[in-house]
Amino acid sequence: MKVELQNLTKIFPSRNKKSNEEVVAVSDFNLTIPDGKLVGLLGPSGCGKSTTLYMISGLQKPTAGKIFFGDEDVTELSPENRGIGLVFQNYALYPHMTVKQNILFPLQNLKGADKMTKEQMHERAYKAARLVQIDELMDRKPSELSGGQQQRVAIARALVKMPRVLLLDEPLSNLDARLRLQTREEIRRIQKETGITTIFVTHDQEEAMSISDVIVVMKLGVVQQVGKPQEIYDNPINLFVAKFLGTPPINVFDGKVKDGALYIGEEKVLDVGKVNDGRVFVGVRPEGFVPAEDGALTCKLSNVEVMGRDVSIVSSNKAMLSQTIRSIVDADYKISVGAEYVKFNLKPHKVFLFDEYTEERIYFGSQSAPTPIDEEM
Amino acid sequence: MSDTKKIVTMVEQDMKKVTSKQRIVKITVQILLYLFLCTMALIIVFPFYWMIISSLKTTAEYRLPVPTLFPRQIMWTNYLEAFTAANLGKLFMNTVYVGIVSTILSLVVTVLSAFAFARLEFKGKNTLFALLLATMMIPGELFTITNYVTVTKLGWIDTYTVLIVPFLVSIFYIYLLRQNFMQIPNELYLAAKVDGTKDLKYLWKVMIPLSLPNLISITILKMMGAWNSYVWPRLVANTDHQLITNGLRNAFTDMSGQANIPVQMAAVTVVSIPLFLVFIFLRKYIMKGVSRSGIKG
Amino acid sequence: MANAKEKVKGWFIEGFVKTFIVAWIWQTFCVKWVWQTFCVKWFWKAFCVNILYKKFDSYKAWLYLSPAIILLLIFTVWPIFNTLRMAFWERYNMLQEIGGTLKFKLGFKNFVDVINYPRFIQCLKNTLLLCVLTVPLSTILALVIAVCLNSIKPLSRFLQTIFFLPYVTNSIAIGMVFEAMFNIVGYKTPEASVGIINTVIGFFGIEPINWINQGSAYWANITVLVIYIVWNALPFKILILLGGLQSVNKQYYEAAKVDSTPRLRVFTRITVPLLSPMIAYVVITGFIGGFKEYSSIVGIFGEDMQAVGGESLNTMVGYIYDSLARNQQGRASAAALILFGIIFIVTMINLGVSKKKTHY
Repeated sequence: MKVELQNLTKIFPSRNKKSNEEVVAVSDFNLTIPDGKLVGLLGPSGCGKSTTLYMISGLQKPTAGKIFFGDEDVTELSPENRGIGLVFQNYALYPHMTVKQNILFPLQNLKGADKMTKEQMHERAYKAARLVQIDELMDRKPSELSGGQQQRVAIARALVKMPRVLLLDEPLSNLDARLRLQTREEIRRIQKETGITTIFVTHDQEEAMSISDVIVVMKLGVVQQVGKPQEIYDNPINLFVAKFLGTPPINVFDGKVKDGALYIGEEKVLDVGKVNDGRVFVGVRPEGFVPAEDGALTCKLSNVEVMGRDVSIVSSNKAMLSQTIRSIVDADYKISVGAEYVKFNLKPHKVFLFDEYTEERIYFGSQSAPTPIDEEM
Repeated sequence: MSDTKKIVTMVEQDMKKVTSKQRIVKITVQILLYLFLCTMALIIVFPFYWMIISSLKTTAEYRLPVPTLFPRQIMWTNYLEAFTAANLGKLFMNTVYVGIVSTILSLVVTVLSAFAFARLEFKGKNTLFALLLATMMIPGELFTITNYVTVTKLGWIDTYTVLIVPFLVSIFYIYLLRQNFMQIPNELYLAAKVDGTKDLKYLWKVMIPLSLPNLISITILKMMGAWNSYVWPRLVANTDHQLITNGLRNAFTDMSGQANIPVQMAAVTVVSIPLFLVFIFLRKYIMKGVSRSGIKG
Repeated sequence: MANAKEKVKGWFIEGFVKTFIVAWIWQTFCVKWVWQTFCVKWFWKAFCVNILYKKFDSYKAWLYLSPAIILLLIFTVWPIFNTLRMAFWERYNMLQEIGGTLKFKLGFKNFVDVINYPRFIQCLKNTLLLCVLTVPLSTILALVIAVCLNSIKPLSRFLQTIFFLPYVTNSIAIGMVFEAMFNIVGYKTPEASVGIINTVIGFFGIEPINWINQGSAYWANITVLVIYIVWNALPFKILILLGGLQSVNKQYYEAAKVDSTPRLRVFTRITVPLLSPMIAYVVITGFIGGFKEYSSIVGIFGEDMQAVGGESLNTMVGYIYDSLARNQQGRASAAALILFGIIFIVTMINLGVSKKKTHY
């Protein structure tokens, strides 16, 4: 099912009657999600991603804008008539019911033509349970399950109605690190198997990058960038997106452009061609550094961490705006013992320039703005 | 044996002396504690014991100059006499009827109100709730005066209605249940909404099972309230509609005009035994409810 | 019970229709002006908001609350206003108001009457005496028992249950048991039995005392009442204090043990201060309960509330009910307001003191 959001806006009236400050949770959100894709809404807490999810679910009414499932306008429909499944951050399993009763609960509410016999309900419940591999736990109570198992039950309960759209609110944040890895693979598998258009909310960029088909990066209620994970990583549209994605995070320098050349501190590091002179922010991905004897950028070496496959060099520079400079280079590179400084050349396609005031991206050389995502993605 | 070892053993012996002395103190203290507690417990229990054995004595035995601690002849007929003399059977049925009806209706009203206060949003919710809590400060006698006038005007005197309706709403129970409902995560409600569960079904299938212990506490306290209510029924009902406690003060006299205390004690036992049974089987819920309330009955 | 169903149906329809009509008449005629100026506007607005703007959530909430609110309006809110009204209407009498023969004058006459009435002063004296005697006694005893219960292991649960027993009793019923225990059977007859209590104190060489029978002294009557009320009040206080004790952090006691603090000092310097919020709660509820004492006295002394020929042992609440039974609603209301005032002031004083003395 294709999901389309048009100019979606949510404004919360101020709680305090005296001040008329309104909180704009989501502002003018436009997005088209093709059928059968897994979309991650990514952003720091308070950026309006959960509000967006709740508006799609129908639990919150948008202040303005429309929501379409396929060609049907569902903006005014109540949650139960939208055909959605929703999984909550804390799973919201009914503690006094067994797993089976929990999964059956949504089916028992169906009325009219959708009404099912007991056998049909059981068949559907077991099908959903088998899909998430909990069919052996059906008679247990939620309190007797681990966090990961509870999560699966919650997903089964959301899937049992065969929803048109599956919505997941921070599905992994209540799990420990090991389970998180396992469960996100699981979500990917279930989504692939069922082919249901799925939207999930997360603040963990790694999580979003690893399983989504499309990532939507949000900040303070405004969509920053929409794209495939790799594309957003390789071609961020502004400084916020560049900083938010990637581990280790991007290194930011205070730089300036003069006569087609980029300077960091006093050192000329790259030729950037037709870019207006002035102060800029320079972002360099950790893998964008190439250590070289005659490198353009000199950094004070503070630590070398050997990680097997590659080496992480921690260093510092007067012009840096991040805490340290962290670069990742080939394990072949041998740093001379006792060296005080290290010199780098920069890979041009791993260097991003941002406007000093708007923090928008400035494209140089062969770089160009990302193309908007299209239908056949 | 080396010197150091000697010192170590000496120190150990010293410590043993200290600990054994401490142990003696500790044991004496424990014995004193138990003695005190058991004496107090005996004093607490004694009236109940006296009630039961007196109810089984003959009048003659009861009047012996030196009271006996156990009846010589067990008189079950005292109970029969109590039932007939004080019309306890009728009063008992009245009490059960009033107790059950008022408990059920009260639970319905309380659950609906608590749900509205805990889960629904409406204008003036907090103000209204604060006002309700404020009325809990006022002593009940103040209401009784006007309620007596009101029920007289309504012509409810001498009906079951008058024993049930004025006490259906207890703000304290609404408060108790609202707190309980608020502890249930809001996501459960949202999840049910997504599944198209209607409010009342959600209330019945999720909220009520999850707050069952509290509902049981309320039920017991409410039933005990009916069982123990004395003033209001005496004020507004005659013997046909009075409750069991009102029957206790009826005159139990024998032929010589003296109070027949064994029969009186039999009536008292009849009134007390159901309370004990409830207490024994549902102690957990009562103690939980009481420790939160501080209101008797 | 065969016609139970019929009766339930009967009172349901009859009661609700009648109350509705009464409320409606009162609203339309007594407060017509208020109605027209405020309510009509408000209701119209509420109607528009609820129905036209589909604010069903709000509408639903009021629907759920409606039974409680209707009952509260009739049996809680209206009495508050009506009590004030009756208390300040001189010589108010319900029957005369229904008859419509008399107009009442506003004034303090009811209060003056109540205060000048010697029997009311007697009631006030009895109530105050009982409060002052029972509250400290029961609180201290409960505190000692709770601390002891908290420091033993075996039998602790069993003893807790025993100590809670008096709570689940009927105060009239057990009052009668106390009456029987203190009673002298066949008073002033040659073969009189002095009663179990007198027999027990006889073991300690004390002469039998006339506790509650004809000609008994006022102090003897009060002693019996104090014993009964303390016995009755103990379980609740023990429960609350024990709950408080069990939630006190054990580390304080271990720290005290390391410093080898003597037991009594631990009790006065650690236990009591840490328990002070619970003690304050128990004292406040104790005073409120004490001022409302009524049924325990009926239990022991019967409905005339005095030993034969003795001084009246009636209390404030008893006075209110007596006035009500004599159709003096005005005086009853005035007395109820005085009672409320006393309870309010005592509670405020208690709260003030406990705020200074308690350590949270």
